[in-house]
Amino acid sequence: MRTVIVFVAAYVIAFAAASGDEATIERAKSEESFACVQCHSLRIVHSQRLSKTAWTKEVDKMIGWGAPVRDRQLLIDYLSEEFSDAKPMPEPDRSKDGTKRSSIISDPAKAPALKD
Amino acid sequence: MTFYTNRRQLMATALSLTGLGSARADDATVIQGKRPMILHNDRPEDLETPVEYYNSWLTPNDVFFVRQHIPRPRVNRDTFALTVNGRVSKELHLGLADLEKLPSYTVPATLECTGNGRGFFRPRVPGIQWMRGAVGNAEWSGPRLSDVLKAAGADLNSPFVEVNGADEGVARTPDFIRSFPMRKALHPATLLALRMNGVSLPDIHGGPMRLIVPGWDGTSWVKWVVRITPSAGPNTGFFMNPGYRFPKYPLPPGTPASPSELEVIEGMPVKSTITYPADEAKLSSAPITIRGFAWAGEEKVERVEVSTDGGARWSDARLTQPSLPFAWRLWSMEWTPPGRGYYTVLSRASDSAGRAQPFVPVWNPSGYLYNAVDRIGVTVEGS
Repeated sequence: MRTVIVFVAAYVIAFAAASGDEATIERAKSEESFACVQCHSLRIVHSQRLSKTAWTKEVDKMIGWGAPVRDRQLLIDYLSEEFSDAKPMPEPDRSKDGTKRSSIISDPAKAPALKD
Repeated sequence: MTFYTNRRQLMATALSLTGLGSARADDATVIQGKRPMILHNDRPEDLETPVEYYNSWLTPNDVFFVRQHIPRPRVNRDTFALTVNGRVSKELHLGLADLEKLPSYTVPATLECTGNGRGFFRPRVPGIQWMRGAVGNAEWSGPRLSDVLKAAGADLNSPFVEVNGADEGVARTPDFIRSFPMRKALHPATLLALRMNGVSLPDIHGGPMRLIVPGWDGTSWVKWVVRITPSAGPNTGFFMNPGYRFPKYPLPPGTPASPSELEVIEGMPVKSTITYPADEAKLSSAPITIRGFAWAGEEKVERVEVSTDGGARWSDARLTQPSLPFAWRLWSMEWTPPGRGYYTVLSRASDSAGRAQPFVPVWNPSGYLYNAVDRIGVTVEGS
C-alpha cells in the first residue's frame, strides 16, 4: 500500500512540474537555490539551454560534487522545463563598471569566510 | 571545509528561499577592476570581453576575460610560498622575493579559454555559452618554469610536471591540478608569470603567480600556482580526466564519446575573429575598416582572408603586428559597401603549419576548440 502511495505521489509531483503548477515551480526554485547557490550563482544555470538528458547528467555531476539536493527529480523536471533546449537563449547581462573609485567592492578575497 | 560567501549573496539566497527574490542575481553586479563585461557568472567570476573592447594588440587588464572554475582562493602575498617537490634533489619553498630574484622573461601570448565559442555549437552543449570574447592577448613576465625546476635539482627526465593552484574547490568539487609533458614545461616561453601587461598579476587573473603555457588552452594556464611536482605519470584528477578532453577523431554531432575516444588537449588550432563591425550592426554606405584578430596556438598566423558576400569571393586582409608564435595578429580590410542590403562577412585564417579554419566546426560533447570561419551579418541602410 505504501509503495502505491509513494508511486502516486511521485506521479502527481512529476505531472504538476510538467504542467507548470505554480506551487511546484516555487518549490523547485527553492530547491534550486538550496542546492546550487552555496557554490555558485544561478546565472551559470539559467544561461544554459539543455535537453532533459543533459540536465540529468549535470544535476548528477553536481550531487557527486556535494550539492545538497533533496529532491533530485523535482530539480531535473524544473530545469528541463524552464531551461529546455527548445527555448531561446537570453542575452547575458553586463556587469557595472568596476574601474571607478566609488565602485562597490565585490572582491571574494575580501569577503568573510564561513567555516563549515 | 571553507565556503566562500558574503552578506549580499546570503541575502540573495535568503530572499530566493522565501520566494521574494528574483531567480536572477541582482542587476548591479560590479566586478572590481573590470569595465562592464558580459556576465556569464558573478560567483565565481566568468566574464567575457565584449568585442568592442578589442582594438589593440595587447588586451588591457581591465577588460581581459576571466574564467574561474571554483571560487578564488585568498593568497597572502607576504606569506605566499611555492613548493617544488616530487622528483627533485632538494625540495624548495620559494617566496615571492625568491622568485623575483630569478631572471625574468617577457612573452606576449594569447590566452584563450578552451570553451571560447561554445555558444556557437549546435546541438548545444553544457557549459558557459562563450561567444567570441573568452580570449585576450597580453605580455606575461616572470621566471621560466625550467629555471625553477633546475633550482630544485629536478629530474628533467621525468615524463610529466604536475602544477597545483591554490583554488581547492567547494564541497566535494575537485582540486584544480593540471599536468604537462616535461618537454612543454622546459620550453623557454613557459613562464611563471608575476606580471601581466607590466603590472603585478591581478588576483582575479591568478595573482601573485600563474603558469603561462603559450599556445596551449587556457585550462593549462594554472592560476595561483602553489606547487610544482615533476612526476612519473600524468595527474589523473577531474581537470585532466575526464575534464578538458577532446575526441581523437570527429564524432557525429550530438553523440557522446566513450573515455577511450578522448585525449588531453595540448596546442590550440588556428582561428580568426571579427571585432568590427559588430554582428547585426546597421551601417551607412560609407567606407569602413573591417577588423579583427587571428591566432594559431604554437604556430604563426600567415594569412587572413575576408569575404563580404558570404564566401563567393575572398580578399586578403592586411596583417599587422609582428608574426610570432603564441601571440595573435591584428588584421584589417577596407570595405566600401556597394549599396543597400544585408551582407554576410566572413574571416578565415591560415598558419605556418598549413592549417586553415574549417567552415564547419568539429562538434564535441564539451564544446571545446571552436574554430570555424567567423561570420557576422550587417545591414547597409544607404547613405
